[in-house]
Amino acid sequence: MNYGIVIKVLGNLLLFEAAALLLPLGVAFYYRENSALAFIYTILLLIILGGMMAKIPHVSKKIRSKEGLVIVASGWVFVSFFGALPFVLDGSIPSIIDAFFETVSGLTTTGATIIDNIEVLPRSILFWRSFTHWLGGMGILVLTLAVLPAIGVGGFQIFKAESPGPVSDKLVPRMRKTATILYTAYVGITLLQIIMLLFGRLSLYEAAIHTFGTVGTGGFSIYNNSIGAYRSSYVVIVISIFMIASGVNFSLYYELYKRNWKEIFKNSELRLYLSIIALSVLLITFNLYGKVYVTFFETFKQALFQTASIITTTGYATTNYEEWTHFSQGVLFFLMFVGGCAGSTGGSIKVIRLLILLKLVIREISKILHPRAVVPVRINGKMISPDVIAGVSSFFFLYLLLLVMGSLLISLEGIGLVSSISSVAATLGNIGPGFDFVGPTQTYSAFSVPSKLLLSLMMLFGRLELYTIFILLMPDFWNERI
Amino acid sequence: MRTIIVGGGKLGYKLAESLSQEDNDVVVIDIDSNTLERIHDNLDVLTIKANGTQLHTLEQLHISSCDLVVAVTGSDETNILVSIIAKKKGCKKVIARIRNPEYANQVEFIRSTMEIDYIVNPELATAKEIAKYLLKSQAVYMEDFAKGKIGMADFRVQNLTGIAGKKIRELGMTEPLLVVAISRNGEVIIPYGDTEILSTDTIHLMGQKESIKEFSKNYDSPISRRNVRKVLILGGGRSTYYLANKLLHNGVDIKIIEQDKERCKYLAENLKGGLVIHGDGTDINLLTSENISDMDALVSLTGFDEENLLISLLAKQCGVDKVVAKVSRSNYIPIIEQLGIDTAVNPILITASDILRFIQGGRVVSISLLLGGKAEVLEIIAHNESKIVGKKLSQLGLPKGIIIGSILHENKVIIPDGDSIIHAGDRVIVFCLQSEVASLEKYFYRAKGGLINELWNSYKGFGKSTSV
Repeated sequence: MNYGIVIKVLGNLLLFEAAALLLPLGVAFYYRENSALAFIYTILLLIILGGMMAKIPHVSKKIRSKEGLVIVASGWVFVSFFGALPFVLDGSIPSIIDAFFETVSGLTTTGATIIDNIEVLPRSILFWRSFTHWLGGMGILVLTLAVLPAIGVGGFQIFKAESPGPVSDKLVPRMRKTATILYTAYVGITLLQIIMLLFGRLSLYEAAIHTFGTVGTGGFSIYNNSIGAYRSSYVVIVISIFMIASGVNFSLYYELYKRNWKEIFKNSELRLYLSIIALSVLLITFNLYGKVYVTFFETFKQALFQTASIITTTGYATTNYEEWTHFSQGVLFFLMFVGGCAGSTGGSIKVIRLLILLKLVIREISKILHPRAVVPVRINGKMISPDVIAGVSSFFFLYLLLLVMGSLLISLEGIGLVSSISSVAATLGNIGPGFDFVGPTQTYSAFSVPSKLLLSLMMLFGRLELYTIFILLMPDFWNERI
Repeated sequence: MRTIIVGGGKLGYKLAESLSQEDNDVVVIDIDSNTLERIHDNLDVLTIKANGTQLHTLEQLHISSCDLVVAVTGSDETNILVSIIAKKKGCKKVIARIRNPEYANQVEFIRSTMEIDYIVNPELATAKEIAKYLLKSQAVYMEDFAKGKIGMADFRVQNLTGIAGKKIRELGMTEPLLVVAISRNGEVIIPYGDTEILSTDTIHLMGQKESIKEFSKNYDSPISRRNVRKVLILGGGRSTYYLANKLLHNGVDIKIIEQDKERCKYLAENLKGGLVIHGDGTDINLLTSENISDMDALVSLTGFDEENLLISLLAKQCGVDKVVAKVSRSNYIPIIEQLGIDTAVNPILITASDILRFIQGGRVVSISLLLGGKAEVLEIIAHNESKIVGKKLSQLGLPKGIIIGSILHENKVIIPDGDSIIHAGDRVIVFCLQSEVASLEKYFYRAKGGLINELWNSYKGFGKSTSV
C-alpha cells in the first residue's frame, strides 16, 4: 500500500473541503449570523491538517485500485467528520453523533435528518447542510480530480471507486477532462434549475438550497414540510423535472452536447428508467384520483412528484404519502429499490443493474427451453461480459443481505417491522424518508446512538456501492503478507 | 494531439504510455478485453474494444479530426488496411508496422502508393541497431548527437579502475565531460558534486566524442580493439535474417543456430552466405563444438528473453568479447545492468523511439530513451524566443530532473556550467527524467496560445526508445 500518496490525496481533499466551506461562510456574513465563527474554526482546522497531510512525502505517485478504494472510502468518512464540525461548534446540533449522521446523510445525498425543527436553525448552517448534497452528489473526489492538478493514471481508480454503476467508463481519454465534462453538466443543470426556481419567485437563497437538494438527489429542505411548504404548482413541477433529469446518466448530457441523438434514444437504461416513472405515475394517479385528491391535476402532480422523488432517491415530499392507499404506498416502496441510472447522482440499486438482472432471468428461462442455446446478455446492443454479470448479481445479493441484517439490528429499537425495513432501505438506498416511524413527516432523531451509526454506515455503503466500504472491512485487504 | 493506436500489444502499450504522459489524448483499440484492461488500469487513456479495421469504429472516434493513427496489430495486412482507411477518412498522419521480410523490399512502394506516412519494422530496426554496435570498433556503446560531434556513453563502474567510492567532484576529469546520470539498481539518479559513486553503478557520460574515448582509455581496463570478424547468432527469426544480411554485406562471417528445421532451410536458401546450423542454441556442447570462445561476438535473438539473457551470460563466461541479447519486455531492464551483459536491445523501445522521432519531425533533432524510458536525451535547437536563450544557466531555475549536457555553439562543443549561456541556433543536448518531460516545453519553446501552441503540443510528449 502506498500510504504516502493516500495521505497526500486526502490532504488535498481536506483543503478542498475548506474551500467549499467558504461558501456557507459567505452566507453567514451576508446574513450577519454568529455561525460564521463555527465555519472559520473548521476552515482553519482543515487548512492546518490538510496542509500538513498534503506535504507528506510520497515515494511514488502510483495509485492502484487498492489505494483508490482506501482514498475514496476514508475520504468520505473524513469529509463527513469535518463537515459535521460546523453543526457542533455552532450548537445547532450539539451531539457529534447526530451531526455526523446529518453530514453523512447530506454527502451521500440521502436527506435523512435528525433535526425535528429545522426552521429555527441559522441560514448559513442550513446552507452548508444542503450544499453537502451538491458536493456529494457527483462525488467529492471526482470534483477534487477536476479541480486539482491531474493525479494522472491513479485518477481513474478513484473515479471507478466513487462513481455509481456496474461499469464506469471515461468519456474522453483524459481522466481529468472526463471529470471536468461531468461537472460542467452538473453545474449547468444546477444553474438552470436555480434560474427556473427564481422565476417561481423563490429568493436566491431558497432557490439555491432546493436546487442543491434536487440535482444532488439529496432531499434536505429548509422547511419542516419540505417542498409542501410551497403552494405553487410551478415549483413542484420544476423540481419534479429536475429530479428526473438528475437521475439520468450524466454522460448522456455529454452525448446531448455532441448531438449524438442516436446514443440517447437507443439507451436502454434511460428508456427503462423513463418507462418505470411513467408507469408508476399512471398507476398512482388512477389509484388515488377521487379518493385522496379531488382534481385530476392535483393527483397527477402529487403522483409525479413523489414518484420522481423516490425513484431518484431524492426524498423531497409535497404531501404525506402515509395517507395514500396501500397500493400507491406499495408502488413507492418498490421504487425505493430502483434508484437512478448509473453515472447519475441517484442512489439505490440503479436501473442498469435491474435491467441486467432482468435480461439474465430471461436468458435463464430460454436456457431451460433450449438447454444448448448460447444467449448473450446485451445492453445497448453490446454484450455484457460475464464478469460484469457476476458483479451485478453479487451486488444485488449483498444489497439484500445488508437490508435484512440492517433491519434485524434496527428492529432492536422496538419499532415496527415496516419502520425497521424502510429505515434501512431509505438509508441504504440514499433516499431519506421511509414509511411509518420514518415517514416523510418524521425524523430519525429518536433512534439510539448505535442505530444512528449503523444507519450512517448504511448510507456510506449505499453511496459508495457496497464494495468500496466492504473491502475496507476485510482483514485480507490489510494483510500485506499475501 | 489526438492519437488512435490500433493494437494494444507491447509496442502499442509503450506508445500509449509515452504519448499519454504528456498532453495527448490517446485512444487504444484492441479486440481483446484483457489486453485493454491492463492498459486501462495503468494508463490515462481511453480503451475501446472493437475491430480497428471497421470503418464504423474509426468513424465513431471522429477519425477525420485525428492527428495520428498508429497501426501496430499483429498482422501486417491489418495494419496496412487500418492505415489506408484512416488516411482516406482524413486522419493527418498514419503509421503502420510491417515486419514481414518478404515485404521488406516493397515497403517503399507500399508507403507511397497507399499514402502511409511512415512504416516501422521492429526487426529491421533492431538488426540495424545491433549491426551498428558490432561494426563499431570501440568497446563502449556510444549514442551520437549533434551530427556525431557529441556522444553519450554508459560505463559500468566496476570495469573502471579508481572511480568507485569517489565523489563526483573528486573525479578530477581532465577532459570536459559531464556525468549526466547514474543508474543504481535500476533507478536513475541525478548526480551532484557530493554524490558518491558506488561500484555497482553505471554512469552516463556526455561530452565530445574524442573526450569520451580518451576517458575510456584512461580509466577502463584494457579494451580489445580488434574488429568483429566472426559472429554467432542464436535464433533464426526475422531480426536474425536482417542482421545476417547486414553483417554479410560488411564482410563478417556469421553462424546461425536455429532449432526449427524448416526455418533453417529457409534461412540457408535466402541468405547469400553464412552457415546455418540446425540445433538447440542452449546446448553447451553444441556451442563448444561450434567454437563459441573463438567468436568475436554473440547475438542472442531467440523468442525468449530469459534464454537470451542466460546464453549471453554463458557466452561472456566463455570469453566472447561482445555479447548482445534481445530483451522484448521492459520488465527486465532494471536487472540487466546488474547481470553484466554488454548490451541488451529492446525491439519495442527501438521501434517506439523510431515512431516518436517521426512524430516529432524536425523539431527535435534526435531523441533517445534510456533505462526503459525512465529518462530521455533530446537534441533541441534553441529557438530565439525560448526561455533558455540569453540567460546564465544558473538563473534559469531548471528543475532537478533536467540537465543541459552539452551545447554545440558555432561548431564548438561546450560542456556547460552555471555561467554558460545558450544562444539562439545552438544545438542543446538535454538529459531529462521522464517525470520532467512535460516541463521541458516551458523552458525550451515559446509559450503562446493558438496555432503555435498546438504545434508545440503536438511536438512534446513523445519519448521513449532506448536502444541500448
